[in-house]
Amino acid sequence: MKDIVGHLKSLLGLSRKLHGGSLPFTEVFRRFRDVLDNNNRALEIITDMGEKLGGDYLFDVNYIRDAYSRLSGVVAGAVHNFDILTRGRYGQLPKVFERIDSRVTGMIYDVASVSGERVFFYEDISWDMAREVGGKNSALAEMMNYLKLNVPGAFAITTHAFDEFMEHNRLNAVVEELRHGGPDEAKLARIRDLIMQAEIPAGLDADIDAALEKMKERCGGPCFLAVRSSGEEEDGEFSFAGQFETVLNVTPEGEELKAAYRKVLASLFSAKAAAYQRRLGYEPGKMKMAVGCVVMVDAVSSGVVYSSSPDGDRGTLIVNATWGLGESIVEGRTDSDFYRVRKGAEPEILSEQAGSKQFMIVNRTGGGTERIATPADRAGRPCLTPEQVKELAGVAMLIEKHFRKPQDIEWAIDSGGRIFILQARPLRIQEEATARTVHAPRPERPGPVLIKDRGVVVQKGTGGGTVFIVRNPGELEHFPKGSVLVAKHDSSDFVRVMPFVSAIITDTGTPTSHMSSLCREFRVPTIVNAGDATVTLKQGQKVTVHATGEGSVEVYEGINRDLIEHEERVSMKMEDVYEYRKKRFVLRYISPLNLVDPLLDDFVPERCKTIHDILRFMHEKSVAELVDSARYGTSMLKKQAAIKLDLPIPAGIIVIDIGGGLSVPPGREKATLEQITSVPLRAIVKGMMHPGVWHSHAVSLKVNDFLSSMMRMSDITAGDNEYVGYNVAVASGEYMNLSLRFGYHFNMIDCYCSENTRNNHLYFRFVGGATDIVKRSRRIELLAAILREYGFNIKSKGDLIIARLANISREELAGLLDQTGRLIAFTRQLDAVLNDDSDVELYSRNFIEGNYEF
Amino acid sequence: MDKYRIMVIDDEKIVCDMAKMSLEQEGYEVETFLNAEPALKRLAEQKFDIVVTDYKMKGIDGMEVLRTVRKLYPETRVIMITAFANLDAAIEALRSDVHDFFPKPVKIKELKASIQRALEEENR
Repeated sequence: MKDIVGHLKSLLGLSRKLHGGSLPFTEVFRRFRDVLDNNNRALEIITDMGEKLGGDYLFDVNYIRDAYSRLSGVVAGAVHNFDILTRGRYGQLPKVFERIDSRVTGMIYDVASVSGERVFFYEDISWDMAREVGGKNSALAEMMNYLKLNVPGAFAITTHAFDEFMEHNRLNAVVEELRHGGPDEAKLARIRDLIMQAEIPAGLDADIDAALEKMKERCGGPCFLAVRSSGEEEDGEFSFAGQFETVLNVTPEGEELKAAYRKVLASLFSAKAAAYQRRLGYEPGKMKMAVGCVVMVDAVSSGVVYSSSPDGDRGTLIVNATWGLGESIVEGRTDSDFYRVRKGAEPEILSEQAGSKQFMIVNRTGGGTERIATPADRAGRPCLTPEQVKELAGVAMLIEKHFRKPQDIEWAIDSGGRIFILQARPLRIQEEATARTVHAPRPERPGPVLIKDRGVVVQKGTGGGTVFIVRNPGELEHFPKGSVLVAKHDSSDFVRVMPFVSAIITDTGTPTSHMSSLCREFRVPTIVNAGDATVTLKQGQKVTVHATGEGSVEVYEGINRDLIEHEERVSMKMEDVYEYRKKRFVLRYISPLNLVDPLLDDFVPERCKTIHDILRFMHEKSVAELVDSARYGTSMLKKQAAIKLDLPIPAGIIVIDIGGGLSVPPGREKATLEQITSVPLRAIVKGMMHPGVWHSHAVSLKVNDFLSSMMRMSDITAGDNEYVGYNVAVASGEYMNLSLRFGYHFNMIDCYCSENTRNNHLYFRFVGGATDIVKRSRRIELLAAILREYGFNIKSKGDLIIARLANISREELAGLLDQTGRLIAFTRQLDAVLNDDSDVELYSRNFIEGNYEF
Repeated sequence: MDKYRIMVIDDEKIVCDMAKMSLEQEGYEVETFLNAEPALKRLAEQKFDIVVTDYKMKGIDGMEVLRTVRKLYPETRVIMITAFANLDAAIEALRSDVHDFFPKPVKIKELKASIQRALEEENR
């Protein structure tokens, strides 16, 4: 019992004493606003950079340097204020900022930085690290981290490790000999032998062992690895396809792994690889080899996708598939299934051909692979469903679009039906004669117009797909790839689906929000503030969204492929300019957002990878700090003049005005509703006073409810704080923190409601109740249902619920506060009448419809 | 009809490359130069309809490019771009009969519009 009470108290903040080091609330509030101000300025600079580097402007490095130095200064200021606000609790944050800052600075001042690390897990690899981890590793990591595709767990052994290995074994001198008199097979064979017998330097040996242990831990058991070459230049300009060794299904033992590592290094000096390098003009022995250690997928089927047909038809792609592992396809040893697919918003299978697939390659239990006869029930049968073919096509198009070249992609599907990408490298295809016809006329009459010239264009472009209306973040789980996302509010939660969205339209929102900068980063055609898109567009409807750089907006009914392809041809041109891509890359350390869900455990400074992450982290934690500080409002009663609200309902609210919250003549101890000048407080109080929501008659408690209430009564309130019984509001003109205790449950609402949409938040917490836990939980369910309907982000457990919303305009927030006020009043005694689960639905529906009767 | 010829001079490769890409899209013939010396040599042998030049460059600067163009091809229009929104530079340039003056970053659309205006004026 005591534990439950302790837990409850801690949730309510009652058990925490005010520690000496805490800041006075007014100071907390001031710092909070400073952090917000700095954050806003930073986001404006990020927005400007996104725009100027978006392909519509000629810019030079001076612009980047100047903009970034302003950004860096503002963020440094925010970090400083944040550090004071949170009393150094997030001590890692300044260090994380410093690290990102030095990386960006190195990039824009062209100071190449090489880490000197020997091993990197894929999560820590970015596209610009190809020199350290090789082309294959960096491309796979890019697909994992940026495109959010399924890539098996993996780590890279770097080119730096390769250098150490070669140096330690004095192999460089032997390699040097290759350059004199030409590389003959005898010399190459000698090098290969030496590598196979070479000692792994102690540091590298330990690093590989540690990485393997970490990997095994993650696998939660034995995990076999594919050990693959990842040459410095591999998968970049030239594919090096099939030139180097891959060792499959390596036992997760240190020695086995190291033997495979040596084998892959040695393949750099195979006769065919040496010849290939020579043909491309590489000096023999100059190339460095990084290696990828990738967890083996227990593949049901595998294969290859060519993201464009090698005959030069960029409009179609090719899928090859076989049972088991894909090695037989890669090496051309099986008659696999073959599909030709028309690319587009909705891929279409043009032709298919099932191979006999009499043999398949599978993982052998003790390591390695083996070739077995395909079981009779599978041989000759297609190993993919049409849906899987289309899904593969979608993934291939995404990869091609991202890397800006046709791709040769290896994939595998596991027993859970998940598609894993094992490799992607450039595919040489015949130049398509029509590919450069930029001047092709724009298709006419794209279809009936559903929306015209409404909203603000955040990212120009054209995209088509099926409308998917997102009412709350939970629904993103079911977001179908390639759909058009339509939502009431913009939300940074959308980052989860960003690589797969065809277009985004929101009813409200601003071009400087978190989401907007993500849309620019991912080049997703996006329109915000479009009014009533969630009403005009219907779930499941097929549409084409067309947003231009001049701000004109058109949404057509139907998916107009010609229009989408025409626009893609025109807009992709700037991306083809290498210098542009290279310079623009700096944004990758600035605008993407990795910290999405503040309720998850990884919402910590260490996970911040970009400036945007840092801003997001600070905003979130500043709000938390504010909420936390204001909860001690009762202690302020002693120091500050408190004014009682004189309302027609017995809510018993006392207001501590921290500036502009009330307008009462001096000496008065009471304030009427009209005298509340705090926008959020006034809105919520008005909601509580809404006709019919405040039930004054007592609702009878059943016997067990009554007992339950008796037991809970004194525990909660017992404490050394004499003011705990009051309902206290801390308010300024734009801010409010309101703690309400009604009987045995507690409401807390924290809201910042200003003209600047981006600053605004609404935080609602509800806990407790007098009835038994079943009824209390029902009330939580009811609250969740209603709050979800209003678009809140929700977390609940037992009889506690926390609901949050941010980035909402003042007008809309006032409406939501009014509803929240009604909800607080309505649910005051509601738990007592929630006698069975069906009541939850009944009363939540009633509430939403404006019927507040019990 | 022959395509219009445009010369772009800027000591940053990204400006040259992006300008080339976007102006070629409009159907112009574009040549780019990372510094003015070879550009002026090229001008001596080939007339261009438009010259887009950076104002501030090491060695020969934009004003000198302008003077040379004036001498060789009085009807060729010069558009000046600069990294710094330098008012004095703008005044100096405009006094010397430059067709247009843009601080960087330059909106490509505006540059294209300015080129089109210049070509219309030249052909009047």
